[in-house]
Amino acid sequence: MNNPFSTENIIYWNRKFHIYIGLFLLLFILFFSLSGLLLNHSQWEFASFWKERDETEIITPLTIPINLDSVSLLHNFMKQLKISGEISNVSLTPASIDFRVAKPGTIQDIHIDFKSSISDQKKIVFNWWGKMRILHTFNGSDKMNPGTQPNWLVTRIWRLSMDAIALGLIFLCTGSWIMWYKIRNDYSLGPIVLIMGVAGVIFFIFLLRII
Amino acid sequence: MKKYFPLIHALHIYFGLFISPFILIFSISVLAFNHMGFLNQIYPVKSLPEIRTKLDYIPYDTSDLLTAKAIIRKLGIKGEIDFIIKNEDQFSFPVNKPGLITRVKVNTHTDSVIIIRQMEGSMRAMNYLHIMPGQHNAKIRGNSLFLKIWRLIADAVVYLLLFLILSGVFLWSYQKLERRKGFYAIILGFFFLIGLLFIIL
Repeated sequence: MNNPFSTENIIYWNRKFHIYIGLFLLLFILFFSLSGLLLNHSQWEFASFWKERDETEIITPLTIPINLDSVSLLHNFMKQLKISGEISNVSLTPASIDFRVAKPGTIQDIHIDFKSSISDQKKIVFNWWGKMRILHTFNGSDKMNPGTQPNWLVTRIWRLSMDAIALGLIFLCTGSWIMWYKIRNDYSLGPIVLIMGVAGVIFFIFLLRII
Repeated sequence: MKKYFPLIHALHIYFGLFISPFILIFSISVLAFNHMGFLNQIYPVKSLPEIRTKLDYIPYDTSDLLTAKAIIRKLGIKGEIDFIIKNEDQFSFPVNKPGLITRVKVNTHTDSVIIIRQMEGSMRAMNYLHIMPGQHNAKIRGNSLFLKIWRLIADAVVYLLLFLILSGVFLWSYQKLERRKGFYAIILGFFFLIGLLFIIL
Protein backbone atom coordinates (compact mmCIF):
# COMPACT_ATOMS: atom_id res chain seq x y z
CA MET A 1 0.00 0.00 0.00
CA ASN A 2 1.22 3.49 -0.83
CA ASN A 3 2.53 5.59 2.04
CA PRO A 4 0.03 8.48 2.38
CA PHE A 5 2.86 10.77 3.51
CA SER A 6 5.16 9.97 0.61
CA THR A 7 6.45 12.94 -1.38
CA GLU A 8 4.51 11.84 -4.48
CA ASN A 9 1.27 11.63 -2.52
CA ILE A 10 1.77 15.02 -0.88
CA ILE A 11 2.54 16.63 -4.26
CA TYR A 12 -0.47 14.93 -5.86
CA TRP A 13 -2.98 15.95 -3.17
CA ASN A 14 -1.45 19.40 -2.76
CA ARG A 15 -2.13 20.10 -6.46
CA LYS A 16 -5.67 18.76 -6.21
CA PHE A 17 -6.46 20.84 -3.11
CA HIS A 18 -4.79 23.92 -4.62
CA ILE A 19 -7.30 23.75 -7.47
CA TYR A 20 -10.39 22.88 -5.40
CA ILE A 21 -9.74 25.25 -2.49
CA GLY A 22 -8.78 28.02 -4.91
CA LEU A 23 -12.01 27.57 -6.86
CA PHE A 24 -14.12 27.27 -3.70
CA LEU A 25 -12.62 30.50 -2.33
CA LEU A 26 -12.76 32.27 -5.71
CA LEU A 27 -15.74 34.50 -4.90
CA PHE A 28 -14.60 35.07 -1.32
CA ILE A 29 -11.17 36.22 -2.53
CA LEU A 30 -12.86 38.44 -5.10
CA PHE A 31 -15.14 39.92 -2.43
CA PHE A 32 -12.36 40.64 0.07
CA SER A 33 -10.02 41.96 -2.65
CA LEU A 34 -12.61 44.45 -3.91
CA SER A 35 -13.74 45.51 -0.43
CA GLY A 36 -10.06 45.91 0.55
CA LEU A 37 -9.54 48.22 -2.42
CA LEU A 38 -12.60 50.23 -1.38
CA LEU A 39 -11.21 50.62 2.14
CA ASN A 40 -7.87 51.83 0.83
CA HIS A 41 -9.44 54.24 -1.67
CA SER A 42 -12.02 56.19 0.28
CA GLN A 43 -11.63 59.00 -2.30
CA TRP A 44 -13.36 56.90 -4.98
CA GLU A 45 -16.55 58.87 -5.54
CA PHE A 46 -18.47 56.06 -7.25
CA ALA A 47 -18.17 53.96 -4.06
CA SER A 48 -19.13 56.75 -1.69
CA PHE A 49 -21.29 55.50 1.16
CA TRP A 50 -21.24 57.93 4.08
CA LYS A 51 -22.88 60.80 2.19
CA GLU A 52 -25.51 58.42 0.82
CA ARG A 53 -26.47 57.02 4.23
CA ASP A 54 -30.13 56.94 5.19
CA GLU A 55 -30.80 58.24 8.71
CA THR A 56 -34.12 57.77 10.47
CA GLU A 57 -35.41 58.20 13.99
CA ILE A 58 -38.02 55.78 15.29
CA ILE A 59 -39.97 56.29 18.51
CA THR A 60 -41.55 53.13 19.88
CA PRO A 61 -43.52 52.54 23.10
CA LEU A 62 -42.25 49.52 25.04
CA THR A 63 -43.17 47.40 27.99
CA ILE A 64 -40.47 47.67 30.64
CA PRO A 65 -39.95 44.29 32.31
CA ILE A 66 -39.04 44.22 35.98
CA ASN A 67 -36.44 42.23 37.87
CA LEU A 68 -34.39 41.32 34.85
CA ASP A 69 -30.60 41.36 34.68
CA SER A 70 -29.03 43.66 32.12
CA VAL A 71 -28.44 40.94 29.47
CA SER A 72 -32.02 39.62 29.70
CA LEU A 73 -33.28 43.19 29.65
CA LEU A 74 -31.38 43.92 26.43
CA HIS A 75 -32.65 40.78 24.74
CA ASN A 76 -36.18 41.56 25.86
CA PHE A 77 -36.02 45.05 24.36
CA MET A 78 -34.49 43.76 21.12
CA LYS A 79 -37.29 41.21 20.85
CA GLN A 80 -39.90 43.93 21.38
CA LEU A 81 -38.19 46.16 18.81
CA LYS A 82 -37.77 43.20 16.43
CA ILE A 83 -34.10 43.90 15.84
CA SER A 84 -31.02 41.72 15.80
CA GLY A 85 -27.30 42.33 15.52
CA GLU A 86 -24.08 42.76 17.43
CA ILE A 87 -24.68 44.65 20.70
CA SER A 88 -22.13 47.20 21.92
CA ASN A 89 -21.77 50.50 23.82
CA VAL A 90 -24.17 49.44 26.59
CA SER A 91 -24.77 52.07 29.25
CA LEU A 92 -27.31 51.25 31.95
CA THR A 93 -28.54 53.72 34.59
CA PRO A 94 -31.54 53.40 36.96
CA ALA A 95 -33.50 55.72 34.63
CA SER A 96 -32.49 54.51 31.15
CA ILE A 97 -30.45 52.22 28.98
CA ASP A 98 -28.44 53.09 25.88
CA PHE A 99 -26.96 50.57 23.50
CA ARG A 100 -25.94 50.06 19.90
CA VAL A 101 -27.05 47.20 17.67
CA ALA A 102 -25.01 46.81 14.51
CA LYS A 103 -24.99 44.55 11.51
CA PRO A 104 -23.20 45.19 8.21
CA GLY A 105 -24.98 48.11 6.63
CA THR A 106 -27.17 49.03 9.60
CA ILE A 107 -26.33 50.79 12.85
CA GLN A 108 -29.02 51.43 15.45
CA ASP A 109 -28.31 53.58 18.50
CA ILE A 110 -31.09 53.01 20.98
CA HIS A 111 -32.07 54.98 24.05
CA ILE A 112 -34.82 53.59 26.27
CA ASP A 113 -36.30 55.72 29.01
CA PHE A 114 -37.72 53.51 31.78
CA LYS A 115 -40.05 56.18 33.18
CA SER A 116 -41.81 57.02 29.92
CA SER A 117 -41.40 53.46 28.50
CA ILE A 118 -40.32 54.97 25.21
CA SER A 119 -37.57 53.76 22.91
CA ASP A 120 -35.80 56.27 20.70
CA GLN A 121 -33.92 54.53 17.83
CA LYS A 122 -31.51 56.42 15.62
CA LYS A 123 -31.00 54.19 12.63
CA ILE A 124 -28.34 54.56 9.93
CA VAL A 125 -28.55 52.41 6.82
CA PHE A 126 -25.66 52.31 4.34
CA ASN A 127 -25.71 51.50 0.64
CA TRP A 128 -24.09 48.37 -0.85
CA TRP A 129 -20.63 49.98 -0.95
CA GLY A 130 -20.93 50.68 2.77
CA LYS A 131 -22.10 47.13 3.43
CA MET A 132 -19.10 45.75 1.54
CA ARG A 133 -16.67 47.86 3.54
CA ILE A 134 -18.24 46.87 6.86
CA LEU A 135 -18.32 43.17 5.97
CA HIS A 136 -14.56 43.32 5.35
CA THR A 137 -13.93 44.32 8.97
CA PHE A 138 -16.99 42.88 10.76
CA ASN A 139 -15.70 40.50 13.43
CA GLY A 140 -17.44 41.69 16.58
CA SER A 141 -14.22 42.72 18.28
CA ASP A 142 -14.00 45.82 20.40
CA LYS A 143 -10.76 47.84 20.16
CA MET A 144 -11.15 49.06 23.73
CA ASN A 145 -11.82 45.55 25.07
CA PRO A 146 -9.87 43.20 22.80
CA GLY A 147 -10.81 40.11 24.82
CA THR A 148 -14.55 40.44 24.19
CA GLN A 149 -16.23 37.82 22.03
CA PRO A 150 -18.98 38.49 19.49
CA ASN A 151 -22.42 38.34 21.09
CA TRP A 152 -24.40 37.70 17.90
CA LEU A 153 -24.36 34.17 16.49
CA VAL A 154 -24.16 35.50 12.92
CA THR A 155 -21.01 37.50 13.75
CA ARG A 156 -19.45 34.31 15.11
CA ILE A 157 -20.31 32.47 11.91
CA TRP A 158 -18.92 35.29 9.74
CA ARG A 159 -15.76 35.45 11.86
CA LEU A 160 -15.33 31.69 11.61
CA SER A 161 -15.72 31.97 7.83
CA MET A 162 -13.03 34.67 7.72
CA ASP A 163 -10.73 32.39 9.75
CA ALA A 164 -11.40 29.55 7.29
CA ILE A 165 -10.71 31.79 4.28
CA ALA A 166 -7.46 32.97 5.88
CA LEU A 167 -6.39 29.37 6.53
CA GLY A 168 -7.36 28.47 2.96
CA LEU A 169 -5.19 31.30 1.62
CA ILE A 170 -2.27 30.22 3.82
CA PHE A 171 -2.63 26.72 2.37
CA LEU A 172 -2.79 28.08 -1.20
CA CYS A 173 0.38 30.16 -0.67
CA THR A 174 2.48 27.48 0.98
CA GLY A 175 1.12 24.84 -1.38
CA SER A 176 2.11 26.98 -4.37
CA TRP A 177 5.73 26.87 -3.21
CA ILE A 178 5.61 23.04 -3.25
CA MET A 179 3.99 23.06 -6.70
CA TRP A 180 6.60 25.41 -8.09
CA TYR A 181 9.45 23.39 -6.53
CA LYS A 182 8.40 20.35 -8.51
CA ILE A 183 8.73 22.26 -11.80
CA ARG A 184 11.51 24.60 -10.70
CA ASN A 185 13.72 23.71 -13.67
CA ASP A 186 11.10 25.03 -16.10
CA TYR A 187 10.51 28.22 -14.11
CA SER A 188 13.98 29.26 -13.11
CA LEU A 189 13.03 32.84 -12.15
CA GLY A 190 10.97 31.40 -9.28
CA PRO A 191 13.62 31.83 -6.56
CA ILE A 192 14.21 35.46 -7.57
CA VAL A 193 10.56 36.52 -7.42
CA LEU A 194 9.94 34.54 -4.23
CA ILE A 195 13.01 36.05 -2.54
CA MET A 196 11.86 39.53 -3.64
CA GLY A 197 8.48 38.96 -1.99
CA VAL A 198 9.98 37.46 1.17
CA ALA A 199 12.56 40.26 1.42
CA GLY A 200 9.80 42.88 1.12
CA VAL A 201 7.81 41.24 3.89
CA ILE A 202 10.86 40.85 6.17
CA PHE A 203 11.70 44.52 5.64
CA PHE A 204 8.22 45.76 6.54
CA ILE A 205 7.59 43.41 9.47
CA PHE A 206 10.99 43.07 11.12
CA LEU A 207 13.46 45.67 9.86
CA LEU A 208 11.48 48.86 9.43
CA ARG A 209 10.89 49.35 13.14
CA ILE A 210 14.60 49.19 14.01
CA ILE A 211 15.93 51.57 11.35
CA MET B 1 -6.76 30.58 -26.48
CA LYS B 2 -4.62 27.53 -25.85
CA LYS B 3 -1.60 29.28 -27.34
CA TYR B 4 -1.66 31.64 -24.34
CA PHE B 5 -1.59 28.74 -21.88
CA PRO B 6 2.23 28.67 -21.37
CA LEU B 7 2.41 32.45 -20.90
CA ILE B 8 -0.51 32.59 -18.47
CA HIS B 9 0.83 29.55 -16.60
CA ALA B 10 4.22 31.26 -16.20
CA LEU B 11 2.64 34.54 -15.06
CA HIS B 12 0.37 32.67 -12.63
CA ILE B 13 3.44 30.99 -11.10
CA TYR B 14 5.67 34.08 -10.95
CA PHE B 15 3.05 36.56 -9.75
CA GLY B 16 1.77 33.95 -7.28
CA LEU B 17 5.25 33.35 -5.86
CA PHE B 18 5.91 37.09 -5.59
CA ILE B 19 2.70 37.98 -3.74
CA SER B 20 2.48 34.80 -1.62
CA PRO B 21 4.48 36.29 1.32
CA PHE B 22 2.23 39.37 1.25
CA ILE B 23 -0.91 37.23 1.12
CA LEU B 24 0.48 35.38 4.15
CA ILE B 25 0.68 38.73 5.99
CA PHE B 26 -2.94 39.51 5.17
CA SER B 27 -4.10 35.99 6.09
CA ILE B 28 -2.19 35.64 9.36
CA SER B 29 -3.33 39.10 10.43
CA VAL B 30 -6.97 38.10 9.84
CA LEU B 31 -6.48 35.36 12.44
CA ALA B 32 -4.80 37.88 14.76
CA PHE B 33 -7.63 40.42 14.32
CA ASN B 34 -10.29 37.80 14.99
CA HIS B 35 -8.56 36.49 18.12
CA MET B 36 -7.08 39.66 19.56
CA GLY B 37 -7.74 38.57 23.16
CA PHE B 38 -5.69 35.40 22.62
CA LEU B 39 -2.94 37.40 20.90
CA ASN B 40 -2.76 39.82 23.84
CA GLN B 41 -2.43 36.90 26.25
CA ILE B 42 0.44 35.18 24.47
CA TYR B 43 2.10 38.26 23.05
CA PRO B 44 1.52 41.34 25.22
CA VAL B 45 2.58 44.82 24.13
CA LYS B 46 5.87 45.93 25.67
CA SER B 47 6.18 49.52 26.88
CA LEU B 48 9.65 50.99 26.52
CA PRO B 49 11.04 53.53 29.01
CA GLU B 50 9.51 56.98 28.71
CA ILE B 51 11.78 59.70 27.31
CA ARG B 52 11.53 63.31 28.49
CA THR B 53 13.30 65.98 26.53
CA LYS B 54 12.95 69.59 25.45
CA LEU B 55 12.87 71.28 22.07
CA ASP B 56 14.88 74.47 21.61
CA TYR B 57 11.72 75.80 19.94
CA ILE B 58 8.58 74.38 18.36
CA PRO B 59 9.06 74.52 14.58
CA TYR B 60 5.58 75.78 13.72
CA ASP B 61 4.78 75.41 10.04
CA THR B 62 1.86 76.17 7.74
CA SER B 63 -0.11 73.09 8.77
CA ASP B 64 -0.32 70.82 11.81
CA LEU B 65 1.04 67.92 9.77
CA LEU B 66 4.10 69.91 8.65
CA THR B 67 4.65 71.08 12.25
CA ALA B 68 4.44 67.49 13.50
CA LYS B 69 6.85 66.37 10.77
CA ALA B 70 9.30 69.12 11.73
CA ILE B 71 9.05 68.08 15.40
CA ILE B 72 9.81 64.41 14.70
CA ARG B 73 12.67 65.46 12.46
CA LYS B 74 14.16 67.43 15.36
CA LEU B 75 13.60 64.46 17.69
CA GLY B 76 15.07 61.95 15.24
CA ILE B 77 11.88 59.90 15.04
CA LYS B 78 10.76 58.29 11.80
CA GLY B 79 7.38 56.92 10.86
CA GLU B 80 3.82 57.64 9.81
CA ILE B 81 2.00 60.36 11.75
CA ASP B 82 -1.34 58.73 12.44
CA PHE B 83 -3.40 61.72 13.63
CA ILE B 84 -2.81 65.00 15.43
CA ILE B 85 -4.46 66.35 18.58
CA LYS B 86 -3.95 70.03 19.31
CA ASN B 87 -5.22 72.14 22.18
CA GLU B 88 -4.09 75.25 24.09
CA ASP B 89 -1.52 73.36 26.14
CA GLN B 90 -0.46 70.40 24.08
CA PHE B 91 0.39 69.22 20.61
CA SER B 92 0.38 65.44 20.49
CA PHE B 93 0.42 62.72 17.88
CA PRO B 94 1.34 59.05 17.45
CA VAL B 95 4.10 58.11 15.01
CA ASN B 96 3.70 54.58 13.71
CA LYS B 97 5.91 51.99 12.15
CA PRO B 98 4.79 48.38 11.78
CA GLY B 99 5.29 46.93 15.28
CA LEU B 100 6.26 50.18 16.98
CA ILE B 101 4.07 53.05 18.18
CA THR B 102 5.71 56.25 19.40
CA ARG B 103 3.47 58.81 21.08
CA VAL B 104 4.85 62.34 21.11
CA LYS B 105 3.39 64.94 23.48
CA VAL B 106 4.70 68.48 23.20
CA ASN B 107 3.87 71.04 25.88
CA THR B 108 3.31 74.21 23.85
CA HIS B 109 4.08 76.48 26.86
CA THR B 110 7.39 74.96 27.93
CA ASP B 111 8.47 73.20 24.66
CA SER B 112 9.06 70.08 26.74
CA VAL B 113 8.41 66.72 25.10
CA ILE B 114 7.33 63.34 26.44
CA ILE B 115 7.97 60.34 24.17
CA ILE B 116 6.19 57.09 24.98
CA ARG B 117 7.04 54.02 22.90
CA GLN B 118 5.29 50.68 22.63
CA MET B 119 6.96 47.69 21.03
CA GLU B 120 4.01 45.83 19.56
CA GLY B 121 5.79 42.89 17.93
CA SER B 122 5.60 41.17 14.58
CA MET B 123 1.98 40.00 14.75
CA ARG B 124 0.69 43.51 15.38
CA ALA B 125 3.09 44.74 12.69
CA MET B 126 1.16 42.50 10.27
CA ASN B 127 -2.14 43.85 11.61
CA TYR B 128 -0.91 47.40 11.09
CA LEU B 129 0.14 46.67 7.51
CA HIS B 130 -3.19 44.93 6.84
CA ILE B 131 -5.24 48.01 7.78
CA MET B 132 -2.97 50.56 6.13
CA PRO B 133 -3.55 52.96 4.41
CA GLY B 134 -7.20 52.30 5.30
CA GLN B 135 -10.21 54.55 5.18
CA HIS B 136 -9.50 56.91 8.11
CA ASN B 137 -7.55 60.18 8.13
CA ALA B 138 -7.22 60.05 4.35
CA LYS B 139 -6.04 63.68 4.23
CA ILE B 140 -2.83 63.01 6.11
CA ARG B 141 -2.35 59.30 5.33
CA GLY B 142 0.85 58.48 3.48
CA ASN B 143 2.96 61.19 5.12
CA SER B 144 5.93 58.80 5.43
CA LEU B 145 7.91 57.20 2.64
CA PHE B 146 7.34 53.64 3.86
CA LEU B 147 3.56 54.03 3.82
CA LYS B 148 3.65 55.59 0.35
CA ILE B 149 5.50 52.46 -0.80
CA TRP B 150 3.26 50.13 1.19
CA ARG B 151 0.17 51.76 -0.35
CA LEU B 152 1.50 50.85 -3.81
CA ILE B 153 2.42 47.33 -2.73
CA ALA B 154 -0.99 46.73 -1.10
CA ASP B 155 -2.75 47.84 -4.30
CA ALA B 156 -0.40 45.80 -6.48
CA VAL B 157 -1.01 42.71 -4.34
CA VAL B 158 -4.79 43.06 -4.77
CA TYR B 159 -4.56 43.60 -8.54
CA LEU B 160 -2.18 40.68 -8.91
CA LEU B 161 -4.50 38.57 -6.76
CA LEU B 162 -7.36 39.44 -9.12
CA PHE B 163 -5.12 38.38 -12.01
CA LEU B 164 -4.37 35.09 -10.19
CA ILE B 165 -8.11 34.44 -9.82
CA LEU B 166 -8.74 34.96 -13.53
CA SER B 167 -5.64 33.10 -14.68
CA GLY B 168 -6.39 30.30 -12.19
CA VAL B 169 -9.83 29.83 -13.72
CA PHE B 170 -8.27 29.90 -17.20
CA LEU B 171 -5.69 27.25 -16.27
CA TRP B 172 -8.31 25.08 -14.54
CA SER B 173 -10.53 25.18 -17.63
CA TYR B 174 -7.81 23.24 -19.50
CA GLN B 175 -7.58 20.53 -16.81
CA LYS B 176 -10.07 18.04 -18.20
CA LEU B 177 -9.85 15.71 -15.20
CA GLU B 178 -10.55 18.53 -12.73
CA ARG B 179 -13.37 20.24 -14.61
CA ARG B 180 -16.36 18.60 -12.96
CA LYS B 181 -15.06 18.67 -9.37
CA GLY B 182 -13.73 22.19 -9.86
CA PHE B 183 -17.12 23.32 -11.11
CA TYR B 184 -18.74 21.83 -7.98
CA ALA B 185 -16.19 23.69 -5.85
CA ILE B 186 -17.15 27.01 -7.49
CA ILE B 187 -20.87 26.32 -7.06
CA LEU B 188 -20.36 25.29 -3.44
CA GLY B 189 -18.34 28.44 -2.73
CA PHE B 190 -20.99 30.57 -4.46
CA PHE B 191 -23.84 29.15 -2.36
CA PHE B 192 -21.73 29.35 0.79
CA LEU B 193 -21.05 33.07 0.21
CA ILE B 194 -24.64 33.85 -0.78
CA GLY B 195 -25.93 31.95 2.26
CA LEU B 196 -23.62 33.85 4.57
CA LEU B 197 -24.57 37.21 3.07
CA PHE B 198 -28.24 36.27 3.30
CA ILE B 199 -28.09 35.63 7.04
CA ILE B 200 -25.80 38.54 7.87
CA LEU B 201 -27.43 41.37 5.87
